[in-house]
Amino acid sequence: MIEYVGENLLAGQVGDFLIVLSFVSSLLAVFFYFFGSDLNPELNSWKRFGRFFYRLHSFALLGIIGILFYLIYTHSFEYYYVWRHSSTALPTRYILSCFWEGQEGSTMLWAFWNVVLGNILIFTSKRWEGMVMMVFASVQAFLGAMLLGIYPFDIQVGSNPFILLREHPDMINLPFTTNPNYLNFVEGNGLNPLLQNYWMTIHPPTVFFGFATTLIPFAYAIAALWKKEYQAWIRPALPWTYFGIAILGLGVLMGGAWAYEALSFGGFWAWDPVENSSLVPWLILVGAGHLMLINRNKMRSMFSAFALSLFAFLLVVYSTYLTKSGILGETSVHSFADGLPGQLIIFLLFYLGLGLYFLIFRAGKFLIKSEEDAFWSREFWIFLGSLVLVISAFQITLSTSIPVINELFNTNMAPPAKPIEHYNSWQLPLTVLITLFIAVSQFLKYKKTDVKKFAKQITPSLILSVAGTILFTYLLQIDKFFINLLLFTSLFAVLANLDYFIRMVKGNVKKGGSALAHVGFGLVILGALLSAGNQKIISKNRSQININFDNDKDANNENVMLLKGDTILMDPYYVTYTNRSIDDKFVYYNMDYLKVNSQGKYEKQFSLSPYIQLNQQMGNVPEPSTKHFWDRDIFTHITFADLENLDSMSMEQYGEPDTLKLQIGDSLFTSNAIVQLMDFDRNVNIDSLGLEESDVALGVKIRAKTLEGERYFANPIMVLRGNRVFSIDDEIADLGVKFGFMGINPEAEKLSILIEEKNKNAGDFVIMQAIVFPYINVLWIGCIVMTLGTLVAVWTRFKQKSNVKI
Amino acid sequence: MKKTHIIAIVMIAVAIGAIISMVSDAATYADFNTAEQLAGKQIQVVGQLNKEKEISYQPEQDANSFSFFMVDNSGAERKVIFNGAKPQDFERSEQVVVTGSVEGGQFYADKILMKCPSKYNDGQADELTEITAESKS
Repeated sequence: MIEYVGENLLAGQVGDFLIVLSFVSSLLAVFFYFFGSDLNPELNSWKRFGRFFYRLHSFALLGIIGILFYLIYTHSFEYYYVWRHSSTALPTRYILSCFWEGQEGSTMLWAFWNVVLGNILIFTSKRWEGMVMMVFASVQAFLGAMLLGIYPFDIQVGSNPFILLREHPDMINLPFTTNPNYLNFVEGNGLNPLLQNYWMTIHPPTVFFGFATTLIPFAYAIAALWKKEYQAWIRPALPWTYFGIAILGLGVLMGGAWAYEALSFGGFWAWDPVENSSLVPWLILVGAGHLMLINRNKMRSMFSAFALSLFAFLLVVYSTYLTKSGILGETSVHSFADGLPGQLIIFLLFYLGLGLYFLIFRAGKFLIKSEEDAFWSREFWIFLGSLVLVISAFQITLSTSIPVINELFNTNMAPPAKPIEHYNSWQLPLTVLITLFIAVSQFLKYKKTDVKKFAKQITPSLILSVAGTILFTYLLQIDKFFINLLLFTSLFAVLANLDYFIRMVKGNVKKGGSALAHVGFGLVILGALLSAGNQKIISKNRSQININFDNDKDANNENVMLLKGDTILMDPYYVTYTNRSIDDKFVYYNMDYLKVNSQGKYEKQFSLSPYIQLNQQMGNVPEPSTKHFWDRDIFTHITFADLENLDSMSMEQYGEPDTLKLQIGDSLFTSNAIVQLMDFDRNVNIDSLGLEESDVALGVKIRAKTLEGERYFANPIMVLRGNRVFSIDDEIADLGVKFGFMGINPEAEKLSILIEEKNKNAGDFVIMQAIVFPYINVLWIGCIVMTLGTLVAVWTRFKQKSNVKI
Repeated sequence: MKKTHIIAIVMIAVAIGAIISMVSDAATYADFNTAEQLAGKQIQVVGQLNKEKEISYQPEQDANSFSFFMVDNSGAERKVIFNGAKPQDFERSEQVVVTGSVEGGQFYADKILMKCPSKYNDGQADELTEITAESKS
């Protein structure tokens, strides 16, 4: 038995106990709530026990979270999770990101929001409490099982966040596991550099909060189908659905903001599988919310309202499976978590089975009606819009699921080679439809609309949208048909809803939440297509000849090489790479953006410093730098840089010498100056150099002129001693360059000049890319307007709700 | 015909369309030898970088041209040409996944994805970083 020094084992033991407690109490909550699941507002003892165990579960889960935070904060590397996801050097502000980088942490984050929402629902769900909380507690049991880390019959159930480093399967038999003092030298693995970004501190909690809210409409829908109360569930579930739409929508867009700020692919949306799997539940939730809205007013399309309410949550579980099981493997840039695939499949199949059972045997049996909505009615167009959302979600899910389809049908497909083109070819036309429906449906009335009146109301925004489309098409020289069409429909959606907000609800924010949310959505689409659809890569390769490819099929000339001090035209700017600076593990490449003024001189407009974050363990990560103007962004990032010799020791050393044959008057370029041989120096003072009387010495005057115009001089000397020739080198310290005068060939009048440069001069170039994103602020403003508008609508509905008995 | 029926038919048609487009836009997992027989189709090949042979990137001549030799999982080797900048730390890659097509014995990649081993795990395969580089056309 080895006595290990410095381990804090107590925290983990308490944690283990709390994990079991949280799991068992969630099961007990399911049990008691099941017997208390009558739709009776009276609080019976079943429900009391249900509450008690849900709260006990909540307490245990908060305890687990608290302990894990504490262990990360105290750098307790005796725990595998802490070792794996953090390090001593990591700034404290990233402690949250360490917490949810791993599968166990992100599971806890999701369970945490279920705890928050569940405890609110205990008070607000009234007679629905038994049913709704039973569903909540059952989900918590599935999530809790993912933390158990037990092995009944040699099958792994869950992965325990408190497993010790020396007991982790990966570490078995490594020498340190038997060293009692191992904690003295063990250092954490650290956090993935991509996650060391402030967006990564707020994006995951927001997305998981959104994910958690999808459980509310799911639980209400199950309750309603179980208890055959097909209509009453909508009133309590509706505001929560819109709350989920606001939060999840915000979370998805934050992911885009993170990608734009921190990832170097040059854009905010790349149809990456992980992005897709958070977008799809949102699309379905939006569909569910709108169908519930029609049903609140009329008993229509009840079946689809149930279906979408159920599938929003099911797709959240499916997306968890996709991102955590590892099945995406080679396709996604960031599925960080290691998998517990079997458990996730059981989790998914359980709720899928439950949902489908009720959908087919209850909703399918009783709720499919064949009465039709009038063509000129608001509900008909909302219904159509929801169907378009379903198609959109179906197409994204299908193509994202290629690895799953391979597993199921033994096919051999790889994800689309050009994902952006593939997804856009479907999603652009669908977005045209959605924005068009958004534009017209606000002015339509429920049941039946007077077409003449409708036409009169919609005309002003229609005319303005056509004018705006023509203006933007002209300004941005858009020549793609679908972009033009989408420009028109999204502008129409924005203007029609703005018009509705101003003229119909008279600018009353409390009543205009939905109109504002639609304005926001229109702006998001408008901003996305103005910026991404019209992005201009200004780092065009102008001077170089593409020599390697005669067939030139995918010629790419978007990367440009910049030597230090070089200035290259990137229309409308001239860009100079001024210098490289190193701050800890960040290497900054400073670039000046210049314009030529009326006197024909370069004038600096602004500077950008894209950088590379050095990370030995997980690879170096380039991060972009962006200059924001009100009407456009200039995005710059490093695609390649030489990262050899970056430490200060080797940077100060001289690299490989170069010997050149030159004549007086010749000039040449070094990496930071123009060097010219001016003249011989025949009056070398032999004494002051400590040379012998018999030596013959000849110097050469060398002038180095930097690109800024500063002049430096060097005077290397060739010495002839007997039949031996040697050089007394001269250095220009400021430029990091050294000259030697090695010999002379009298017939050709050529001098052998040796040039050495410090390592910091050499390799000082970058390959970079610069992209202009026009009007990207429209997108961000749209995000804010959409989220706030939706939240206002939620607030209004919450207040309405409290006046009605549910 | 009722509106509901029209909508249902359109939905089914669109769903079939989505499946067809998924199948036709999907690349195929293959090795280099199979890729040669599938000229024109997008192929995804998994393999390793041959570190013995030349990894060519000369940005002073062309910042958008990069080539290397890759051995696929069946042991076949091809020169891979990529119209873009060389991915950072490419030499460290443990596994390389390229998407593109074979032409004249060379593989023209549209996309490179590489996995680097972690220093801490002595290159154990469970600790990988994925990096993508894409050439836009």
